Amino acid sequence: MAIFTRAPKAEPILGQNRAVAMVLGVLTWIIGLLFFFPLFWLVVNGFKEESVASSSPTLNFDPTLDRFSEVTEDSGGLLSFTEAFGNSFWIVLISTVLVMVLAIPAAYALAIRPMRKWRDILFFFISTKFLPIVGIIMPIWIIARDLDLLGTRTVLVVLYTAMNLPLAVWMLRSFFAEVPKELIEASQIDGCSLLGQIRQVILPIVAPGVAATALLCVIFAWNEFFFAIQLNPTGASTIPVWVNSQQKFQGQFLAGLSAASVLATLPVVLAGWVAQKRMIRGLAMGAIK
Amino acid sequence: MSAVVVDQSKNGGTPTSDDLARAAAIKRMERREGWKRRLPVLPALIYTILVTQIPFLFTLFYSLTDWRIDKVEPRQFIGVENYASLSGDKFFRDAAWISVQMTVMAVLLSLIVGTGLAILLDRKFFGQGFIRTLLITPFLVMPVVAGLMWKLQMFNSTFGIIGWVMNGLGFDSIEFATKYPLASVVVVLVWQWSPFMMLIVLAGLQGQDQSVLEAARVDGASSWGTFRQITLPQLRPFLELGTLLGAIYLIQVYDHIEVIVGGQPGAKNLPFYIAQRSIGGGNVFGLASAYSIVVVIASIIIANIGLRVLSNLLEDNS
Amino acid sequence: MAEVRYQEASRIYPGTEEPAVNQLNLDIGDGELLVLVGPSGSGKSTALRMLAGLETVNMGSIWINEVDVTLKPPQDRDIAMVFQNYALYPSMTVGDNMGFALKQQKVPKAERAERVAEAARILDLTEYLDRKPKNLSGGQRQRVAMGRAIVRQPQVFLMDEPLSNLDAKLRVQTRTELADLQARLGVTTVYVTHDQVEAMTMGHRVAVLNFGVLQQVDAPKTLYAAPANKFVAGFIGSPAMNLFDAENVDGKPGIAGVAVPINDAVAAALKGQSLDKVSVGVRPEHLTLGTAGIEGEVTVVEELGSESFVHVRTDHRGEATNIVVRDRGETQTARGDRVKIDFDGPLHVFGEDGQRVTA
Repeated sequence: MAIFTRAPKAEPILGQNRAVAMVLGVLTWIIGLLFFFPLFWLVVNGFKEESVASSSPTLNFDPTLDRFSEVTEDSGGLLSFTEAFGNSFWIVLISTVLVMVLAIPAAYALAIRPMRKWRDILFFFISTKFLPIVGIIMPIWIIARDLDLLGTRTVLVVLYTAMNLPLAVWMLRSFFAEVPKELIEASQIDGCSLLGQIRQVILPIVAPGVAATALLCVIFAWNEFFFAIQLNPTGASTIPVWVNSQQKFQGQFLAGLSAASVLATLPVVLAGWVAQKRMIRGLAMGAIK
Repeated sequence: MSAVVVDQSKNGGTPTSDDLARAAAIKRMERREGWKRRLPVLPALIYTILVTQIPFLFTLFYSLTDWRIDKVEPRQFIGVENYASLSGDKFFRDAAWISVQMTVMAVLLSLIVGTGLAILLDRKFFGQGFIRTLLITPFLVMPVVAGLMWKLQMFNSTFGIIGWVMNGLGFDSIEFATKYPLASVVVVLVWQWSPFMMLIVLAGLQGQDQSVLEAARVDGASSWGTFRQITLPQLRPFLELGTLLGAIYLIQVYDHIEVIVGGQPGAKNLPFYIAQRSIGGGNVFGLASAYSIVVVIASIIIANIGLRVLSNLLEDNS
Repeated sequence: MAEVRYQEASRIYPGTEEPAVNQLNLDIGDGELLVLVGPSGSGKSTALRMLAGLETVNMGSIWINEVDVTLKPPQDRDIAMVFQNYALYPSMTVGDNMGFALKQQKVPKAERAERVAEAARILDLTEYLDRKPKNLSGGQRQRVAMGRAIVRQPQVFLMDEPLSNLDAKLRVQTRTELADLQARLGVTTVYVTHDQVEAMTMGHRVAVLNFGVLQQVDAPKTLYAAPANKFVAGFIGSPAMNLFDAENVDGKPGIAGVAVPINDAVAAALKGQSLDKVSVGVRPEHLTLGTAGIEGEVTVVEELGSESFVHVRTDHRGEATNIVVRDRGETQTARGDRVKIDFDGPLHVFGEDGQRVTA
């Protein structure tokens, strides 16, 4: 099913009168811009002086990059932007790689050569997503404390891997299921090993899907706040914790906070824009295929 | 595993040792094949069980004790006492009620807004791709940033946009987040989750069987009739999927509450309250665990309904 | 160069009672092109996949060249398979697709290139070697799939409906080329199709399966002239044989009140069987429109130019029954005519058990 690639041929729901179409088009534009407005304003505020930002909203100002350089400066003992960015980078990278290493073989076993009762296993993975984090946070906190892992990057890597794994298995299975069965059989007859099969036959076909899945894992891990603040409130913490701390330490300095927020958000927003079609297809079609 | 039948036709009913050896070899091969198929899923499965299921059992155990982590005394097994005390616990009841309101409002509103947006986007117009990209963006934004952004530059009474617009219209601006904490959180949640619902519904709209729509048009159905009688039923699984995923995530909202209203009462849901009472400094691990179990049970009820829906989807398509 | 033998081979899918292939016994000679044919669900593809090693053999054994391969994985059977949808690796070029198996066998690069080039020359694919499958036409893809099989120089070719994704005209043309290629290479080939015309035109011998059971295996001519049972009689031939449950006409099997002319041997074989439980079949070309015989009314005339098929409605065992008769190209018959149908050629009689009654 080619989602998004094909323009809908059938008549749109709200009729096809030209004037109506015109009005609806304009309406959609207005709503789209309204939805985006808070983010637009965030970026604008990031370029303002504090005094301008904390008075009545205006577009009439001299843009400055000072706020961006201020928030990225070393803050003397407190969690700095560079540190938090580095922590986030490594935690997100390693957990995403781990997720993929675990999820790709699992997706293979669920889609390409389905084991018996593969549906039950898939449901188990999905059902762990239904387990609220508060249902496990206390034991995890205690185990982490006893293993002396509180405030380390390791504990977040472990948890983010577990958090994203069901989602990745779910999405990858739907992408893997699109590989024709005969292709796998042909490679078996051609004498391909399991690893060779995954590497030379399957991955080239599902590469875009794998990339989209990885990207979604990156986004969720990058944005995660609850574990980070509960288990890792100090030294080795991540970008969301840093943004939150900016609120605490800088008080209500809107321009500085805006600049910080823009820096924190930009990487995943860009990534999401690039991969939007496939990501959503994987999410929605995971259930349908 | 299929039964291995030893062929007895040639030997007057008595299987020879050769036949038996062959049957055993086939059985061995099938078993090996079964493991070969299972093996790749095991690492992921074991990891998930270790990190999610085992701690859950711990929580279940804690909830039956009077454990406070700040005291040295050993934890004592007190049965269901923690659960029994829940009904009289006003703070718990408040938090539970907030959870229900917040989840229901956020899910329903984002589903409605998202469906509306999807219908608008499901027609060709100038800049369609661009507007879709803009509309998706809120879902990508870090929840902490979304919360801060709305709190400071939208809700704030002096330099927030909403106050500014209200002033312009001749009303007094108010401190929105302080006065209406629950509504404030819900607004931000709807802003972030409508795009998600929109994308799921859009996938449903664009994946429709075109020939059925064309047949309806040939049969003379009006646009609205086609939508109600053909599109909507086809869309149902997608709406259900959106509701399910939305509910699962929104029932455990924490970030937005922390950032927008902090410890303020009036928008403190169960997850927030539980964290506060346990590792957040409250230290009553036993009692907080009982709270957690209640949240889990509520989620299981939602999940059960949801899984049935998903299961139907899988059956239909494979 | 190889012979293939199925020996009491059965496949029972997990969770099912009925075997998909039931105690198949089949000997395929060296260099032979054997066609497995049957309706969908007959087990023909399963039988092929058992030989390929893609399905477990639950019972019995399979031999290639006197070696028991029942328990061997596909890659150790020295076979090559052509799939219905070709199963070309989309990320590889045509050349890499064809050379992939050799690469897995660690054949040196130079020899690999040479063998790929040779196969490409035979199949007229030389100029496409650097293309990706998606940039080829359906017919070209089909040839690449063939090429991939040829390059390996296997003991046996397995072909699973290799032509069914081609359009009708190309299918007929490729059918001939494929048969010619097989004859030139002389490699034992097992070929699966649901199309009985394809089976009859290509197969040295044809094995007919139904519900997992081998019905008959014979040269196409024999299959047509002496079908072993009612199923084969009805399945082989286009248009199909006229096949009826007989009625008792004065102690002889009959159709629409007219006794069919059977010889004494058949009559003797039918002795003791209830005549309204035996079946009688006659091919359209063995009937003529004449002055005596079965009476009926013409409902449809299909004029094909060189011949016509006349559909006649008669009253047989109290029901309106259709009989097809072959007539000359320029037939005089038209819808609504009352006609009489006479027997003019061999008859097929099947006993109560559905088996052919041998004369």
